Amino acid sequence: MAYITSVGLVRVNRNYHKSPRDLAFEAASKALEDVKLDTIDYVIVASSLTYLQASQFDLAAYIARELGVHVKSAFTVEAGENSGLAGAEVALNLIRSHAAERVLLVGVDKLTEYISNRTYKMIQAIYDTESDAVYNVGHAGPMALLMRLYMDRYGVDRETLAHWPVMMHAHGKENPYAMLRFAVTPDKVVNAMPIAEPITLLDAYPIGDGAAAVLLSSDDQGGDHLARLTEVYSSIGFQSIALRDDPLSIEAVGQIAREAGLSPDSIDVAEIHDSFTITGILLLEELGFAPRGKAAELVAEGAFTKGGSGPLVNASGGLKARGHPKGATGVYMLAEVAMQLAGTFPGVKADSPRKGIAVGVNAHGSSARLAFLEAL
Amino acid sequence: MVLPVWWRKRIPRYRFVGALCKDCGRIHYPPRNACPYCGSRNLELVPLPRRGVLESYSIVYSVPGDNRLNAPLPIGLIRLENGVRVVAELTDVVPEKLENGIEVEAVIRRIGEDGETGTILYGVKFRPALGRK
Repeated sequence: MAYITSVGLVRVNRNYHKSPRDLAFEAASKALEDVKLDTIDYVIVASSLTYLQASQFDLAAYIARELGVHVKSAFTVEAGENSGLAGAEVALNLIRSHAAERVLLVGVDKLTEYISNRTYKMIQAIYDTESDAVYNVGHAGPMALLMRLYMDRYGVDRETLAHWPVMMHAHGKENPYAMLRFAVTPDKVVNAMPIAEPITLLDAYPIGDGAAAVLLSSDDQGGDHLARLTEVYSSIGFQSIALRDDPLSIEAVGQIAREAGLSPDSIDVAEIHDSFTITGILLLEELGFAPRGKAAELVAEGAFTKGGSGPLVNASGGLKARGHPKGATGVYMLAEVAMQLAGTFPGVKADSPRKGIAVGVNAHGSSARLAFLEAL
Repeated sequence: MVLPVWWRKRIPRYRFVGALCKDCGRIHYPPRNACPYCGSRNLELVPLPRRGVLESYSIVYSVPGDNRLNAPLPIGLIRLENGVRVVAELTDVVPEKLENGIEVEAVIRRIGEDGETGTILYGVKFRPALGRK
């Protein structure tokens, strides 16, 4: 167990005027406002694109110096889109093993240093370069195959699936840290520019930069905290959708949900990975929040928004509307769930939540992580 | 694509062969060092059937820089006659006529070229099946 002591977020955006270090500095400075810097033992940076976008190795050491903290150690954790929660896993284990009392976790990624089609090439690297990414078809292709298969198998129409981005935009509109703060209609989603049919622009996460910071402390550290991080479960999955007995199963997520004994009824608030509409829908089902083939219908009925029958899911707006600065996303999730549990989230709030989760995957599940948080 | 990366994979890509796991009996493509299902290293290269069924497809518009001139690109999830699945580019198709469940067959096609040397890279694509088996 570790405490989440403080958090700091930068609004996800096309932050052309800020470097990855500037973004990390801004997020970390907010998290460290009331903290004595010499109490921090480690800086862990979660990032997957910074080497490609900013040509920088040993990023964590450079960022730690930029922050002016003198720590025992600083290193970068890379697990693609799942880097943020991988960083949380490492931080939690450092604290549990008494190697550290205080760890500053900073997630940062920049996606806008180059023109979009060059960035597509970089973010295509979330997929297996020896199978799904061989044909050089960008970041949405494999997910589009899953979306059509899903619609075909369960007889779910395009418009029903559009209710996921509709809900994400409704939530993101209220979150000051979200990149996309406007409402959309199902009709607008269906008729938006196609990215990879049947995925349209409004099914996909926007290309934006961001940074988030979370300060984790052991229970020996006094003072106020926001929430407890009790466990981070982790698993790896198949390299390609072609290897799965059922291409629609994200088995790494199902496996950790079972291992953790996740009971959907006990969860009040969740932030889950929804790089595309279909990713969010498949995760809801894999986590047991919805029966197979029924998630989109439940979303359309309002089950996962405030006042719905299920937990409040992606009050931040999710990857879809808050944005998805790759390696930083898991750290945003952690910060958002911690703020929900402390009652300080600045957007759509859950009603006195006790338990929350953050769920991340890379691509369609090369790895998966499930973080459990509890209110104090 | 860097040339040596393509060259190393020339056998599975040009001849369309997979790997049979002699311990669990499952076949996967492309061949890997260990069986993705049981972890065994006891593998044997086997030719794959050229025909299969299109289980899903997409027309991709957001194509990365070096492949941009070929956009929009049709791609598919194909289930071969022996049950092995492959993600591959589709060719010789009219996008409006694509539908899940049609029969497709493997052909060798140009995939792209190496940016620095100009070497043409070939590989397997799938097209709607012609005639009888």
